[in-house]
Order: sequence, then structure tokens, then C-alpha cells
Amino acid sequence: MACLSTSGRVACGSRSHKLICRLFLNHSPHSRQSSSQLLTGDTTAGHPREYRATPNQQLARSFHGLTLGINQDYLNLLQTSHSCSQPPNLRSHSSVHTQQPAGPVREIQIDPYIILDDELKYFYDDVRDLLQSGTSQPELDTIACYYFDGQGKALRPMVTMLMAKALNYHLNNESHQLVHKQRQIALFSEMVHSASLVHDDVIDQSDFRRGKPSVNALWNHKKVTMAGDYILSIASIMISRLRSDDVTIVLSQILTDLVQGEFMQLGSRETENERFAHYLTKTYRKTASLIANALKATAVIAQADDNVAEVAFQYGRNIGLAFQLVDDMLDFVSSTEQMGKPTAADLKLGLATAPVLFACEKYPELNPMVMRRFSEPGDVERAFELVHKSHGLEQTRFLAKKHCNEAIRLAQELTESPYQKGLQVVADLVINRMK
Amino acid sequence: MNRVGAVIMQQMLRQRMQPRQLQRCLEQVSPVEQPHLSTFTQLRCTSASAANNKQVTPPRHDWNRAVSEAERIVGYPTSFLSLRWLLSDEIANVALHLRKLVGSAHPLMKTAKHLLYNGKNTMQAWGLIVLLVSKAAGHAPSIPDVEQDKSAGVLHSQRALAEVTEMIRISHLVHNSVVNLQSGTEAGQDTTTYDDMSFGNKIGLLTGDYLLGHSSAELANLRNQEVSELISSAVRDFSESEFIGERDEQNNPLPFKPGTFQRPSLTVGVDFNEHDVMTPMPIGQVMGNPEQEWECRNILNAGSLLGKSCQASLKLAGQSEQMQRHAYRFGKHLALAWQACLDAESFQSPTLPPDATFSLVSAPVLFHLEHDPSLYKLIEPGKKSVDLVDYNQIHKEILAGPALAKTKELQRKHTEAALGVLQHFPATDARQALENIILAMQDL
Repeated sequence: MACLSTSGRVACGSRSHKLICRLFLNHSPHSRQSSSQLLTGDTTAGHPREYRATPNQQLARSFHGLTLGINQDYLNLLQTSHSCSQPPNLRSHSSVHTQQPAGPVREIQIDPYIILDDELKYFYDDVRDLLQSGTSQPELDTIACYYFDGQGKALRPMVTMLMAKALNYHLNNESHQLVHKQRQIALFSEMVHSASLVHDDVIDQSDFRRGKPSVNALWNHKKVTMAGDYILSIASIMISRLRSDDVTIVLSQILTDLVQGEFMQLGSRETENERFAHYLTKTYRKTASLIANALKATAVIAQADDNVAEVAFQYGRNIGLAFQLVDDMLDFVSSTEQMGKPTAADLKLGLATAPVLFACEKYPELNPMVMRRFSEPGDVERAFELVHKSHGLEQTRFLAKKHCNEAIRLAQELTESPYQKGLQVVADLVINRMK
Repeated sequence: MNRVGAVIMQQMLRQRMQPRQLQRCLEQVSPVEQPHLSTFTQLRCTSASAANNKQVTPPRHDWNRAVSEAERIVGYPTSFLSLRWLLSDEIANVALHLRKLVGSAHPLMKTAKHLLYNGKNTMQAWGLIVLLVSKAAGHAPSIPDVEQDKSAGVLHSQRALAEVTEMIRISHLVHNSVVNLQSGTEAGQDTTTYDDMSFGNKIGLLTGDYLLGHSSAELANLRNQEVSELISSAVRDFSESEFIGERDEQNNPLPFKPGTFQRPSLTVGVDFNEHDVMTPMPIGQVMGNPEQEWECRNILNAGSLLGKSCQASLKLAGQSEQMQRHAYRFGKHLALAWQACLDAESFQSPTLPPDATFSLVSAPVLFHLEHDPSLYKLIEPGKKSVDLVDYNQIHKEILAGPALAKTKELQRKHTEAALGVLQHFPATDARQALENIILAMQDL
């Protein structure tokens, strides 16, 4: 178990690096081989070494040092769908604003939310019912249910159910009972996500989330903290009731990863290379691990073999990383109304995300600001401006795109089905989302 | 047993911090009553040895001796300061961040100190109780040898569970140290302390989450879903306990106004539904009855975890449902007896020591409110903050009434219940140790 997920993390630094190499060098090693190498590789020895060659470094080196032709490819790839009569500064904005599908257009456009209507229609009602059944205290119930108002994107349950159904199709083994259990895992994923939002709200002291007052603005912080614990405990009871030791083990990994990710966010790293690896590991733990392990748990429930479970896990990891990279990018370009929270929120919290780390390559003056967590007056504004001047946003999007492509490739390893196609559509949705 | 001790030890190891520096660092927290910390061993010393150095206690039913003998029976303290803990990065992080809080008024520091210098005032020994109950009950003959810790007479899984019990309890204490910084509150408006409080909240929240996350991973590795379910429900009970009744700005509990509950509430005790752990404690049925209400509040914030851990431990050992019920009841009654003992303690002296306070939902207060509802007017100022209450006056009034005697009676009732349940366990040194702990508690 631990070994599997560790190797996942190793791959998180190294795979994107390989992918980027592959693109720039126009060289395409058989990807299956590369992933199996990574997975069987000696994790203890490989871990620190792999991280040293970070995507950051690699990308920048290729970007500045390689021939013009490759640079041109890179730019073309970034600008598949927009007019180019704008000055370069604005171009960086518009390239991330595109709503056109970035990948090849798939023959039938499947809407994952529609094909999962049966599973998702009463999803939030079920979560609220579950939370309500566990307490006799109305206020606890109210706080715990606050973010289950149906206004979220429900990305995690949607991907979980898509993978569950794609796997059932792949294994030619679907039953009501099975889907029901997998749906409980989807519930778990959304509940854990919400519990972490509730605790984040107390930590970050932000006043708005999803376009409404955040829980900490409305209720006693001590009660909010307890409500977060409550959601977790109810989610854990529900999972224990699936009576599967392996599922419980896979899902408990999510909780330890989440907290470790939060702790990583408290500290920063000295050197630039370490910083990017630190950022990617943190991103895996805070966001990708939840999706990856939830998807893996649906495979475990479906009694898939280790290889198939690994496909589910890696698909989730790539989607999760891409999702967070896009999120970090949108933090710089979206308006407050679109995101439902203030922009440049990460900078204000002192966090250096991928766009900033990429921008450091071109504007080394960002380094001291990163180190002091943008704490001096004017730091946030200056960093915001420099990120827009640099190619940090395109580079972030590019990295996200690579993870999406990898997710699509992994999805294609499963038997073709509407759900399997849906998994590929999700990758497009993640990269093209506006909020 | 002493995790924050472990934290600080680790910090010393990592930073090669001199013990004297550490002592200085801790003196800032509170300059009085610090035991002399000059060596690692002294830092690790349990309440037992620390207190033995200080005072000569009567030989009969000595609390510290009862605990240290019990620890020896299950080989307890050494294994808990496991290397895993000392070497984990997150704990090093917490220790580093905690240092930044030294000198601030954040309650997290008080909680940390409380855990570090455990006197007789804290029920430190929860993991110990779980192990003693495990040893007293024994295990099913079908359990393979490799799963047993022969020298201690418990299973490895039971030891892990005892560790989880302590982690969950500490996580709750730490999460309870979070300060309410809502914009309307006094703490939220005090700009001089806001940054410290906000940072302390962050560290407290993450530390508690870390403990919960690890508990959940440890539980998962026990590969027993009934146990996971039961212990998860104890976490639920903890969070529920912080919502009951009226609260001040910092969520400190206040008693109900006398007469709030018109209909006669149940006078027999309520407890959890044995067959469905999801069902919450039906606390609404006993509101307004001081004894039952007190019992429910304290089952939720203490008895549930201890009782359910004892029950889960017997589940791991393959014991019968009936023995599991006995274990649950033992844990529950022990926790309640202990709480009654703590509640009575503030009223043992004729006047309240300066700066001392007591919980406004402690048994003596609830009993006195029933006896004389006019006491409520002294409690009302506490609606904004319990600090605004005149504790000396309440103390005086309660001592003049029958509440303390009723509290003593309450403690005796739960002590007897715990001893009674223990008779279902075979006579062993572990059972004897449990009895000694209970009797010592009675004499405190």
C-alpha cells in the first residue's frame, strides 16, 4: 500500500518531467514502459534524485535553450485557439481564457454529468440525510451541511462514479449492490473534501467561499472545527460499513496525505529546484491523493486486479494534479465573481504556486518575495504583475495539459464505454474550465 | 503517554537544544511550578515519579502508585514514546511552530502544558485503562501467537488501539483550544493578539487533524471494520458534545435556565443504541434533570471514547458480545466517576483559591440550580464570557447547599458501578490494578 502510493508520488515529479522532455525532444518513448519503470523503480533511492530534475528547470532550459522550431511548437500548442493579433502581454491572458476543447474533438460529446444523472441527482440530499442522521444537535447539522448545498462542482464524486462505472464495464461486472458501494466512496470523497474546506476556512480566515459567506464568518470557530471533525467521523463510519479492510486502508491514506500537504504548505524551501518538487508533492497530497485513492477504492470494491487499480489511481492522480494546476492558474486570471472567492488569494496567503515558481525563472527578483511569503507591502501586487509579464501562466497550463493527456491515455487503457469516454471528456473539462 | 513531551524531546534532539534552553522556553509559558528539567529522563517522568518526589502520600490507595504499578503490568509508557513519533516530520514541524507561540496567550499553550505536566488533575491514563481492560479480559484461544505481545499479555492490535484512543483524545483537546475569532467577539476584535491567536488556531487545527488522520490510518491497519466504526462514532460524540446547550462567546458551556424544560424528563439514564452506532445519544430526553443531563454531557465528552475503546479492544480479542458490553460499561462508569471526582475537587476547600474557576455545567452547579434556581442570576453574566461570572459567590452558595454531597454520591454511584462490572472479569493482576486505580481515585 504505502509502497504503491509512494511510487505514485515519485512519478509525480518525474513523470511530468519526462513528458515535457518527450514533447520538446520530439521523442516518444512507449509511455507504458516509462510508467512501469517508474513504478518498479527503487523508491527510496529514486525519490530525491528524481526530484532534482524538476519540470521547472527542464521546461525553462528547453524553452530558452533549444532551437526555435521547438519553441514554436510549444507556443502553437499553447495557442491552439485564439486570434494572435493581440500584444504579447494580453495574449497570455487570452490563451488561458479559451473555452474551446484543447484536445482533439471527440466524435460524440458526452456530458459526464448527464450520463451519471442517476447517481448524482440526489447526491447532496443523500449526504445531508446521512449527516443529519448522526446527530441530535441542529446547529451541528446546519454547519456540517452548509457546503453540501449543491452549488459545488461535485467534481470528485463525478469522477469517482465515472471511473467506477468504466471499471465495472471493463471488468464486465456491474450490479446494483456494487454501484451502491462505489457511490458511498463518492460520498466519502465529497465529505472529506468539504471537511477540509471547513477546517481551511478557520485556518485561512477568508470571508467568502463559493460565492457565499464562509462557515467561519457565520459560526463560532470552535464549533466549526468540531463540525469538520464531525463530517470526517460520519464519513468514516459510512466507509467502515462497507466492511472492506482494503477500501478503508486505501481511503485512510487520503486523510494522512491531506494533513501532510497542509503541513508542507506551512514551510517553504530554500532552493528553486526543491521548491518546485515541494510544490508538486504538496499538490499531490492536498488535492490529487483524494481523487487518486477514491478512484482506486472503487477498483478495489470492484475486485479489479492490481494493474487496473493502478490505472484508476494514476488517472485520478493526473486529473487531480491538472485540476489543481489550473486552479492555481485561475487564481491569477479569474475575476472574483467567477471563482466565488477573491483572486490572487494564494499570494495573499503567502503561497507560491506554479505560475509564480515558473515566473521566478524569468524574474529572479521574485525569489526573495517567495521566501518572505509576499509579506512586505506591495509584494502581492508586484508578484501578480510579474507573473502576468512572464510565461508562468502558459507554462502552468502546459503542465496541466500534459497531466490531462496522460489521464486520457490511461482512460484509453480501459474497455470503450460511454463512461470510459466520459473520463476523457473530464480531462478536457478540467483543462478548459473557467471557474 | 506524554506526547507533547515527545514533541519537545524531539525538538531537542533535532536542534541539539540544551535542556536549560528548553526549560527557559517552558518557563515563559508559566513561570511557576515547573519541575526541574535537566535530563531527558526527568522530562519523560510520569506523574507518578514527579509527584512522589514532592510529597509524602498516605500509603493506602495512592493514586500515583496505583498508576505506576498498572503501567508496569502492561509495559505501558516506554512503548508509547515510539520512534515513529519521535522521528516524524510533522511532529517536528508542530514543535517548531509551537515555539513561536510560547509567550502568547493562546490556549493551545495551556493545553500543551497540561498534557506535559500531568498532575492528578488529568485523566492521562486512558490508553493504560484500555490495556488493563484488555489484559484483564484476555483473548480468544484462536488468536495466533504472532499477534500477541506475550510479555505484556495484550495483543499488538490492542496496543495500537490504546495509542489511537490517546491520539483521539488529545486531538479533541487540541481542537478545543481553537479560539473563536469571529468578528463580533472580543477575541476577534483584539488587534494586539489577533495574529498570535490566528496562528495558534492554525497550528492547533492542523495538529488535531494530524492526530485524527493518523488515528484513522492506524485503525484501518487493524483490519477490523466494526472497530473502525465504533471508534469513529466516539469522534462523532466528541464533536457533538461541544454543541449541547447554551454557550458563551468562546463556546464554554452554560447551564440551561431553570424551568427551560417544562415536561418531566426521563429520570432513568439514557445510553447509546447498542445496535446502531450511527444513532446519536438521545440527550433531548434527559434535559433538565441535573444528574441525567450531567451524565449525558460527560458520556459524550469522555465516557464514550473510553467505553467504546474498551469495547473495541475486546472485539479485537475475539471476546463475546456480552464481555464487550461489560467493557463498554466499565469504561463509561470509570470516566464518569473520574469526572465527578474532578467536579467535586473545586469545592473541597472552604474558599476558592485565587484565579481558580470551575465548569458551569459541573455536577455541583447543576445540582445546586435544581435545589435553588435563583443561583442562575449569578450565571447569567457568563453568557458573554464565563470569565465574567463571580465564581467566589457561586462557590459560597454551592457549599451552603446539598450539591457537593450529591456530587460525592454521584461519584460513589459510578465507582460502584465500575467495580461491579469488573466482577465479570477473571481475577488477575490487571483486574487488581484497575480496582486499585478506582479506589485510589475515590480517596483523592
